[in-house]
Amino acid sequence: MSAGGTHLSHATTETLALFSRGDLPWLERWKIRRHVRGCNTCEEEISRFRFATEELKREAAAQTLTGFEAIADWTRLEREMLGNIAVGVSAARCIDHVGRRRGVFLAKAAAVAGMLVLFVGGWFVHIPPEQNRHLLSSFRRLMGEGPAQQAGSVLRATPDGISVRAQGATLTILHPRSAVVSMSGASVMGARYVDEDSGEVTITSVYGQ
Amino acid sequence: MGNSCGNSLAVAVISVAMLLARPAYSQGFSQIGTGQGQGNSWLTVEFPKDSPVLIVSSGLGSTTAHIQGASIALEIRTSLLLRNTGKKAIHGLTLRVDAGNFHPAAQGSVTMPSLDAQPGDTFPVRIDMELVRPFNVQRSEAPLVQVSLDCALFDDLTAYGPDKLGSKRALMVYELESRRDRHYLANLLNTGRVGELRRELDFGLGGSNLPQLAMELLRAPDRSNEAGHQHPMAVNVVAFSDSPIEAKGGTARVVGNDLEAPMVRVTNRSQRPVRSIEMGWIVRDENGRDFMAGSLPKKIVLNPVESAQMTEAGDVRFLQPGGRPLDIENLLAFVNSVEYGDGSLWIPSRADIDQATGDPVLRHALAASPEEQRLENLYRRHGMNALRIDLERTK
Repeated sequence: MSAGGTHLSHATTETLALFSRGDLPWLERWKIRRHVRGCNTCEEEISRFRFATEELKREAAAQTLTGFEAIADWTRLEREMLGNIAVGVSAARCIDHVGRRRGVFLAKAAAVAGMLVLFVGGWFVHIPPEQNRHLLSSFRRLMGEGPAQQAGSVLRATPDGISVRAQGATLTILHPRSAVVSMSGASVMGARYVDEDSGEVTITSVYGQ
Repeated sequence: MGNSCGNSLAVAVISVAMLLARPAYSQGFSQIGTGQGQGNSWLTVEFPKDSPVLIVSSGLGSTTAHIQGASIALEIRTSLLLRNTGKKAIHGLTLRVDAGNFHPAAQGSVTMPSLDAQPGDTFPVRIDMELVRPFNVQRSEAPLVQVSLDCALFDDLTAYGPDKLGSKRALMVYELESRRDRHYLANLLNTGRVGELRRELDFGLGGSNLPQLAMELLRAPDRSNEAGHQHPMAVNVVAFSDSPIEAKGGTARVVGNDLEAPMVRVTNRSQRPVRSIEMGWIVRDENGRDFMAGSLPKKIVLNPVESAQMTEAGDVRFLQPGGRPLDIENLLAFVNSVEYGDGSLWIPSRADIDQATGDPVLRHALAASPEEQRLENLYRRHGMNALRIDLERTK
């Protein structure tokens, strides 16, 4: 590169561009300044660079004026940021509220369903089957379905006892599991076993009607 | 969570139940105790003043009340100590258990068929029962359970008691069977046939006993949906040569594991009128196993050479002890006892039983009296010496 008078070689375009923006080191900038005083070509080149730069700045300023103004005004920027945050938080609260309502509803529904399942399960686990059948048949009778309740009693033998049941009431005479159950009449059921304490044979019976 | 909810539910139900069942609970357990004619809210034991047995003491053991579904369940475990206050030895006793306050149909009994209570002797009787009643049923202030004497049979075959349950006939059959079996076993012992005696008592193992059976006795079951599955079944007979009544087979209707209206044709081949016949029934399942279904006495007037049909009313549903239905493949009937017009009884002798069948299990079932069951238990628990001592009192 040559710097200085008219006869010196011209500076490169890059150097002139940097000079136009004031980005050259001090020594380079001093050399170019001396050259430009005597070189119209380079001076015009620099002028075009400066003009272009100003144009770009104007266009940028026109597009981002609000942002620049906001950046220049910290108080305004703070208010704007706080406002944005507030809007965001409010929006989040709104979303949260909507989701929570749905969640609460679902939770309540799940709890009710769970309680229902627990109740039904507990009912069938804890309530004897015959009582379930009795309730079901009573319900059917109430609804006008099914036969009318039969009069009389039912005799039944289980491993733990013999029972007579009528209209929901049951008398069970208990016996040990070793007892042998048999009929001892048309409406009589008996269980025979040896009492382990006394060694005596005991016969229990229940009577139907 | 499940437990806590379940507990909450149970607490709620029990709370309601306690409110509804306040009369039963308010009488509580503090009034436990029985006496002759002295009742309490739970149990009364009543014997007539001239009764040959009177109560010495009583107690309600681990008696409890709990909620069972929509009902209240009372489990009453009673232990009575009775004394023979008469002048004759008591050989059999039936106590009647009425829970009429619970439900008019709730009636039972406890029989001691193999007693040998000499005058002044005491003997225990246990009555364990459970009463279940819906909460909405009204009840009076009368005791829940009343225990009374139905019949006491003495060693001379006379009896005492109102005999409302037909206990006298049953006790007399037990007594005759006891005498038969004691005499038979004592004879085996006295003639040195100890091996035969051990086999008779099943070596104390109980393996020859018929398996247990569960059943339901139903009245007028609904058969509208099962008409197509019903089929008749022949009833075979185990005949005893000396029986005054000849059973000639019969029929029954079978629906699955239900047996309906079993019928047997009988003829009186004795010279004496008969007023009741007790038929024994054995059910054979699809695996060839025999189950003792029971013995059913039935009042029937049958003069010499007369024939009749004996039909049992009702419907019996047979189940295996685990609750599985028992498929009925065959039915056997035999004459277990005959009551003549004068009240005397015939039972099959040991010779009759031995001749009737060669099947040892069936023979054991036909001869399985309460007394033999007691002696088997005595032999199993205390050995041959105890059995010998017991049989020595056989007249």
